[in-house]
Amino acid sequence: MSDAFWQSVDLSLFWEYRQVLLAGLLFNVYVFACSAATALAVGLAAALLRVSRAWPFRWIGTVHVEVFRNAPDYIMIVWVHFVLPLLLGLLIGRRLEFHPFVSAVIALGFVYSGYFAETFRAGIQAVPLGHIEAARACGMAERLILRRVILPQVVRRMLPEAVNQFVSLFKATTIVSLIAVPDLMYNVSMVTAQEMRPLPLYTGAALTYFGVIWLAATGVRLLSERWRNKIYA
Amino acid sequence: MDATPAIRVVDLRKSFGTLEVLKGVSFDVHRGSVVSMIGASGSGKSTLLRCINFLETPSGGEVFIDGEQMGFRSDAGGERRLQPLSEINRMRRDLGMVFQQFNLWPHMTVLGNVTEAPIRVRGMSRRQATALGEECLARVHLSEKAREYPARLSGGQQQRVAIARALAMQPKAMLFDEPTSSLDPELTDEVLSVMRELAGDGTTMIVVTHEMGFARDASDRVLFLHNGLIEEEGPPAQVFGAPRSERCRQFLSKHLQ
Repeated sequence: MSDAFWQSVDLSLFWEYRQVLLAGLLFNVYVFACSAATALAVGLAAALLRVSRAWPFRWIGTVHVEVFRNAPDYIMIVWVHFVLPLLLGLLIGRRLEFHPFVSAVIALGFVYSGYFAETFRAGIQAVPLGHIEAARACGMAERLILRRVILPQVVRRMLPEAVNQFVSLFKATTIVSLIAVPDLMYNVSMVTAQEMRPLPLYTGAALTYFGVIWLAATGVRLLSERWRNKIYA
Repeated sequence: MDATPAIRVVDLRKSFGTLEVLKGVSFDVHRGSVVSMIGASGSGKSTLLRCINFLETPSGGEVFIDGEQMGFRSDAGGERRLQPLSEINRMRRDLGMVFQQFNLWPHMTVLGNVTEAPIRVRGMSRRQATALGEECLARVHLSEKAREYPARLSGGQQQRVAIARALAMQPKAMLFDEPTSSLDPELTDEVLSVMRELAGDGTTMIVVTHEMGFARDASDRVLFLHNGLIEEEGPPAQVFGAPRSERCRQFLSKHLQ
């Protein structure tokens, strides 16, 4: 193979720009953390609505899940960043603009809240009624039962499924570069425009994402298996 | 001497839709006594027990715990209204319940199961609750299992932990809903043995059971339920030895060895 080929696959260029690219990766992690927190909080609220005895709450929960689970990540990011500020601005009579980071967190947080809502709902409904009745028989209030009996079991039961969704969410953070969030992909595209050597830069980015996700997901799965095996012998 | 019964049930009725499961049941349980409820499946025994601590809301009738009405109160116009859940929960604290399926919380250790309600509901400090929990586990002969998780215990051990969990709330009365029905025969004895000890210690107990030996030997009174009503009631010697009800006689001849 020619020298040109080996030169083009040489990843040392990626290494040369590692500080800038690492800063971008850290921004992905930052977007992921904030989106995940949003998705978990909104998802839990939606799940509790879905299992409510009152039909209006159930209806609201169902609509939330169906809308956001069926919304493509890319469309949501573009809509939240460009369209939502326009709508809100018209409502309040002022010009509004969202910071790209805020748009990314809102969009990804709400899209993945739809998935987490279903994960939580399945987990809540899988908790045996007998466990809840035993808590009621002790005189526990419903909120205490939710906090001390139901949610701890939901977390343990649904952790494998939740890990899969966290992996998907982290992968989804790569598209925030489309609205100029300075993540790894955005920084790679900036450096590529300067160096005109896309192969080592994009390959390096792909390998970096793979490495980070694989390591984190494997670590969490191993830890959660040990944790669950202690309880579910 | 205070003659107020620990539990008084007056004309208790319960329907699920059009199906009337309890058709007007009345009885008293005095302090320190053991009342066993026997009867065929579907006679309403478990429903009756669950109405006492309002895990099921009765359709009619009244339940009194130590003289205080449970679950309902009369408003100014004399109309009967359901009490707020906080009031029902307050009274539930004084009734320990042991379920057929144990219903231990799998994410907590044995000691965690036993101390959870004393800490979160009665507001005990962790130190006090731990000391009380260890005492209750000693009573059911499971002190060495305090740090284990329920999944690692046998069925009989899990049920004894469930008894300890109920005892830790220091209830006025204990309700047992077929506590040995889910257990293999060889594990039944260890649970019945603990229950006999509790009975011997003067614990007020209502026991729904298919264990005729326990009902005959450890109870002060036996109630035979059929089709949502008490058909036979009395001391074990009378119910087992000379039942007045033909249905009770037939039931006992099928179930007594």
